[in-house]
Amino acid sequence: MIPRYQRILLWTLVCGCTLLALFLIRGCHQAHKRLTALNDATPIAAPVSATNELVALYVANDADATITPTEARVPLPQDPPLRARALLNYLLAQYSQENSAHPLKSGPAVDDVFLLAKPKKAGSEKSDAGDAEGGKVAVVNLNGAFASNHPSGIECETLTVMSMIGTLHAAMPEVTEIRFLVEGEQRETLAGHSDLTRAYKAVDTSHTR
Amino acid sequence: VPALPHPQPVQYKNVIVLDPAHGGTDAGASISATTPEKALTLAFAAKLRSLLAAQGFSVVVTRDSDPGDALPSDQRAGVANHARPLACLVLHFTADGGGVHLATSSLTPSDASASRFAVRWATAQAGMVTQSLALSHDLSEALDAAHLPAVEMRASVPPLDNMICPAVAVEIAPHKVKDGQPTAVTDGAYQQSVAQAIVAALTNYRTEVFPASASPASAATPEDER
Repeated sequence: MIPRYQRILLWTLVCGCTLLALFLIRGCHQAHKRLTALNDATPIAAPVSATNELVALYVANDADATITPTEARVPLPQDPPLRARALLNYLLAQYSQENSAHPLKSGPAVDDVFLLAKPKKAGSEKSDAGDAEGGKVAVVNLNGAFASNHPSGIECETLTVMSMIGTLHAAMPEVTEIRFLVEGEQRETLAGHSDLTRAYKAVDTSHTR
Repeated sequence: VPALPHPQPVQYKNVIVLDPAHGGTDAGASISATTPEKALTLAFAAKLRSLLAAQGFSVVVTRDSDPGDALPSDQRAGVANHARPLACLVLHFTADGGGVHLATSSLTPSDASASRFAVRWATAQAGMVTQSLALSHDLSEALDAAHLPAVEMRASVPPLDNMICPAVAVEIAPHKVKDGQPTAVTDGAYQQSVAQAIVAALTNYRTEVFPASASPASAATPEDER
């Protein structure tokens, strides 16, 4: 025969366990809701096909060391850095085609293009760097393999650099200065000859010979 | 009262600086499987040196052997600037393109006398671009006269921009002939033709800069005596 106080204690414990179980289950549900609410629910933008645009490509020719502007229709994104990168990659890809007048190996050429406000000159009274100079600096980060596989020579390297400068200048007039990096770091020359440590003025390179 | 030392001349009319590019760990372009560019530039500089000496020039070279380490471009420019030469030629070879490429600094020409106190190292050549272009033109004419195609261009090639003397980078590429096999840059006869044309151009350039010069003696003559 179970004493009455023990039965009361047993039922009290059973009720306590049930309440505790319900409390834990509710806590789990709330934690789950809280965690799922943290997930990024932003819908992924649908891919937009870039429209073909008419651009001027400054094409190099090794035979007479000239740069000739030629028009081409190139699909370009709207974002300026992406646009500059796509344009330069398209330009350099032309040189890997058969019968190119300035043959280069195929493969990724430009990793990134950064557009920065031009640094303020010492003594300039204007506060904003970009306004003080009225232009932007384009920093072209070349792919390491592109630089390593580039033919070595003054003429060949200079024409590649001038070709990129001329094409960027024609497509983005707001760029007034161009610098080059290789794999994110400054490198003395492209392939042993053309200086990459200096800043180049963005100009029409078809007349620089 | 001790006499004041004579001021150093701006330019020595008979001194030529030759800079055989690359060297040491910097092999330059790979001309063939066994020939790096640094070996060709050194051999060509030796060849040119003897031809220039025969014309009364005193030749200073930035390197006359293959050093263990690469020679920094600033050091090469320092040697050239210290020598105060009539001209400096930076020698290169390439397996790409054709003919002889003559590169002068791409810096915007400026008035050399405008900098009275100091010249910026990075743009030291700016005051000499006009003279460098004249030298390049003479080289181009001499090469044309020797039936060697020459291409003149502006380029930013170390250490041209740091030199305070007329300076041209001479890059020798294979000699391409119509409907025929191109002559490799390792060909001795081709190199000899280019060297002779360069010597003729430098002799002509010396006469242009110092028109009154009568003797080819290697005495150092200040530019002020022109």
